Amino acid sequence: MRALCWNGVNDLRVETVADPAIVNPRDVILKVTMSTTCGSDLHFIDGYIPTMREGDVIGHEFMGEVVDVGRDVKKVKKGDRVVVPSFICCGSCWYCQHDLYSLCDNTNPKAELQEPVFGYPTAGIYGYTHAFGGYAGAHAQYVRVPHADTDCFLVPEGLKDEQVLFLSDAAPTGYMGADFCNIHPGDTVAVWGCGGVGLMAMKSAFLLGASRVIGIDRFPERLELARTRVGAETLNYAEVESVLDLLKELTGGRGPDACIDAVGMEAHGTGVEYAYDRTKQALHLHSDRGEALRQAILACRKGGTLSILGVYGVMDKFPIGAIMNKGLTVRTAQQHGQKYLPRLLEHVKKGELDPSFLATHRFNLEGAPLGYEMFKKKKDGCVRAVFLPN
Amino acid sequence: MAEKPRESQAPRSRSTPGAVPFTGPSRDWDWHDIEARKEGEGRAGTEKVGRVRRAARAFLGGALLGMGLKSRSVGGMAMAFAGGRLIVRGTRGHSLAAGLPGLRKRALTGRGAREEGVVTGGTVMERSITIQKPGHELYREWRVAENLSRVMGHFADVTRTGPDVLHWKVQGPFGRTFEWDSHVVEEQPGEFLRWESLKGAQVPNSGWVRFRPAPGDWGTVVTLRLFFSPPGGTAADAAMKLFGEVPTALAARALRRFKSLVETGEIPTTNPNPAARDGGQSSS
Repeated sequence: MRALCWNGVNDLRVETVADPAIVNPRDVILKVTMSTTCGSDLHFIDGYIPTMREGDVIGHEFMGEVVDVGRDVKKVKKGDRVVVPSFICCGSCWYCQHDLYSLCDNTNPKAELQEPVFGYPTAGIYGYTHAFGGYAGAHAQYVRVPHADTDCFLVPEGLKDEQVLFLSDAAPTGYMGADFCNIHPGDTVAVWGCGGVGLMAMKSAFLLGASRVIGIDRFPERLELARTRVGAETLNYAEVESVLDLLKELTGGRGPDACIDAVGMEAHGTGVEYAYDRTKQALHLHSDRGEALRQAILACRKGGTLSILGVYGVMDKFPIGAIMNKGLTVRTAQQHGQKYLPRLLEHVKKGELDPSFLATHRFNLEGAPLGYEMFKKKKDGCVRAVFLPN
Repeated sequence: MAEKPRESQAPRSRSTPGAVPFTGPSRDWDWHDIEARKEGEGRAGTEKVGRVRRAARAFLGGALLGMGLKSRSVGGMAMAFAGGRLIVRGTRGHSLAAGLPGLRKRALTGRGAREEGVVTGGTVMERSITIQKPGHELYREWRVAENLSRVMGHFADVTRTGPDVLHWKVQGPFGRTFEWDSHVVEEQPGEFLRWESLKGAQVPNSGWVRFRPAPGDWGTVVTLRLFFSPPGGTAADAAMKLFGEVPTALAARALRRFKSLVETGEIPTTNPNPAARDGGQSSS
């Protein structure tokens, strides 16, 4: 089959690889109908997350049709049209049983690569480094999905691919981020980053009852999507003197009740701290640029909630004093998609959520390297590049 | 404000006279071993040494991380991860060896070795894991030879050759094969099982597994201890040469595989896996 492969830093190529096969009895094989880029892919494409190997098939946000079924799969059947969260989860361990799916104990076959850095290994991900299991990714004609009964969600009839594709990652990640914020009526939620996850977090904050949502970014087309498709107020950090002052003024001097970081380790900024981070990262003296996260911590009101969705490795210069003295609640996780998928599918069915506006650019699989290039550089207003591998 | 915690000065049980420091390829615990030994030797100026070591560790970590990221190979990724770990530890500033729960390592040259009834000079590693099943069920699963064969599959082929006798076949590096029979020497159904290799084994070894209730709704704490006493050299070094893995890694991985098998019915794997290397299909 054809598949998009990582061959080194900023070197993606479409290559011919072996078809995936059923390996374990709870596996299914999907014919991928649609997959999409994710900002977190850029971290290993740019070389900031180690444990990629030349030739790895990438891609973790996808949907498809079931074409082969392992002998112990009970619910999922051949021909089912399904969407799959990007974390592989067993459904049986303590973490899965407590709805903490991305912390699953049983799906990372290379736990020993991750354990030294995080203390305890997390679940595996499709196409996302060997520290996260080394599973082949989904920017391919076919993909193997382990633990299919836990991880495949049947798409209701009548919904288009674009409407459910982002329920694989962007939507549940954003929804979880808003869910972390313990939103009460009257609350203001500020969201750093107006990409796929940030826009979904804003929409989810409204679905969960927020009165005001403020989106922060520097790309005019993304800010416009936040205004027109989500109904958020927006703030272009490149055009204002102080994001903190403005947020303060917008909230009567209190600050936002909750702040969501949907940016991560390659944040862009404008100040001295950004230059400091950028230099250190370039010298490989630390791996993360944390401008957005630091700003979110400072902006959050006393006793408010900080919800971190951006992906981080290790970071220094972290203002823990602001968190401690202001009594912030910090909530964070990789997405627990299996927890949120049923209610998100309900929202889509009822017409309360339609993430299809994120799919700004379409490519066949051969065009995937160009798709990533446009996505990374935000060319032509690209929010998400979508691939049709078959 | 709380004072910065200091490293423990308590004497360590591992400082058995005559113990030989491990000098083979480094794994996590090897670093602890070497560091803890040095820190324990000289009390005066320990803090200063510790600070210097931490700074060096962080610096070395940055360099390794950078080099590892640049090299883009498996060795590179290991290097980068080791680097990341050193940064974390360099900035955190204390030795994990001081109080790591569930991890106990003793070089056995005296009493302990005699207790085990095997030749001296071995290394003991213990690892624990918590599994969402009652102990008696886990004990039963452990006693099924086919299960043990799958659990130890990363390391040995295990087959039943008689009542309570298992045959172990290990493929070592350089095409060398090691075989032995083990028999159960102690048994408390649902709780504890101990085995030893039969007399004359090429690599004398023993081990035990213990099942104890975990708190709350966590299930059962399973502790596995593996002991290898290969002829020649220090035990850990020789075991590494024989099997390509140190005993602690063997134990940890066997426990993880056992947990996955009993909790989900399968062991996670990416073998085979589509990839643009090794002819389109990778075995790792």
